[in-house]
Amino acid sequence: MAEVRPRIPMKAGYFTIPDDPAAPPEVICSRCQDCGEYFFPQRLVCAKCLSRRTAEARVPARGTLYSFTFVHMPLFGSMRVEHMEGYGVGQVDLPEGPRLQVPLAGKQDEFRVGMKLLGELDALREENGKDVVIIRFRPAES
Amino acid sequence: MEKVAILGVGMIRFGLYPDTHHTIMARDAGLAALDDAGVSFTDIDAVYVGHLFMPAMAGVRAVKEIGMTGVPVQRVENASATGTAAMREAYLAIAGGHYDTALVLGFDKMTTVIGSAPNPQDMDEAILPAAFFAMWATRRMHERGTKPEHLAAIAAKNWNYGALNPMSQRQPKETVTVEKVLEARMVSWPLTAMMSCPIGDGAAAAVLCRADLAKKFQPDRPVVRIAASHLGSEVYERGHLFMGPVVGPAQMSRDAAKNLYQQAGFGPKDIQLVQVHDAFVIEELEYYELLGFCREGEAEKSIEEGRFALGGAVPFSTDGGLTARGHPGGPTGLAQIWETTLQLRGQAGKRQVPNARAGLCHMMGGGSVCAAHILVRE
Repeated sequence: MAEVRPRIPMKAGYFTIPDDPAAPPEVICSRCQDCGEYFFPQRLVCAKCLSRRTAEARVPARGTLYSFTFVHMPLFGSMRVEHMEGYGVGQVDLPEGPRLQVPLAGKQDEFRVGMKLLGELDALREENGKDVVIIRFRPAES
Repeated sequence: MEKVAILGVGMIRFGLYPDTHHTIMARDAGLAALDDAGVSFTDIDAVYVGHLFMPAMAGVRAVKEIGMTGVPVQRVENASATGTAAMREAYLAIAGGHYDTALVLGFDKMTTVIGSAPNPQDMDEAILPAAFFAMWATRRMHERGTKPEHLAAIAAKNWNYGALNPMSQRQPKETVTVEKVLEARMVSWPLTAMMSCPIGDGAAAAVLCRADLAKKFQPDRPVVRIAASHLGSEVYERGHLFMGPVVGPAQMSRDAAKNLYQQAGFGPKDIQLVQVHDAFVIEELEYYELLGFCREGEAEKSIEEGRFALGGAVPFSTDGGLTARGHPGGPTGLAQIWETTLQLRGQAGKRQVPNARAGLCHMMGGGSVCAAHILVRE
């Protein structure tokens, strides 16, 4: 059993870190209270209707793969061997509307435009006894 | 509004200059443009400098190496579109009647920023520009059946143009083939290193003046005039990417083209050559359509027919483009102006486009913006 360390986000404000290590994260968006549009990351002014009445909206981390690539370089900020050979990157459409640009779990031949994905937290490195985590998406189907 | 001409252009060859200070590179490009224009620095009413990676004060200090006449010096920055955006400021000031002449100077040393690691605390940094544009390619392949061979054909064309341009960073000794481009190191699938612009240093400059003065300075040369100038930023639409080194959305280039053609009073049928932001060759493929040089969905067929190659209907990236000529940052857009001006004068040597009367220069800047001009020979 690997040691379970406390987890901290690479940068605060983008995704949640559930207390239960098995639970999936949520994506922290803003939602316009006037026109209903969702945005990631959070913003004050609605880019669609310019209303300032936006509020934090947490949504499940799942979506559809709009496009992807596989970068043949180490992942910035990661100390993990798995990330040294390169990493997948995808544009993921949440059902609420926002498109995210995020690392993908898996190899290039596992990705297909239009496939369903689920979000998960991935530890990049250890800092002061804590795991620094980032959100990434993994194919929900094979 | 006054009409505005490109009176002179100058640049140094883009490349790796670890031992040359950026001030010296900028000076040499600026002096070359003044010489080409046939003017002295005392004739210059204002200077606009564009640099992206250099420290504060770099612009005004570089201008001091060219001359100290008390002239106003203004720095402009707009990512990859920096040089183009600086030229637009000079254009607006002359068109508005504030100045008769202006020097535009772009320079950068990308080699000095390599190794300054991105901030590992920032989620944006996980997504490289190469990955962002590779995702354009993947999506295009999904929607239109584009093959890596189409991308490689654009790259090979641009590398081979680079061989004809003495100012190009990449000057292949042998003809570059589609196979060679495909065999190059994979950077971000499906983009190989030869489909991606190099890291480099450079400087480029242009002298602008009121069009009615151009004949006074250069009586024996055709006048190259700015027929249209555009700068635009993004309009929100669903699916907009708010993070990462983003360029787009596509509508920004469609809007730029529409505005340019309206100002110029003519469209793509009357344009003989085009320079675009081909930092990664998938961009050039998209701009064929977005700028109106072929119908949506016909870029692949047009590539197969050689429509945008030298000898084709409308050659693109005739100086090698960002792919071969290079993309140091600040000077890139001015290198496009250098190339188009020489083409319109009929001075482009082996890469001369026959009967070039109008050329379009299109740049994108991360963030993002689209800055573009149409130049015409009077």
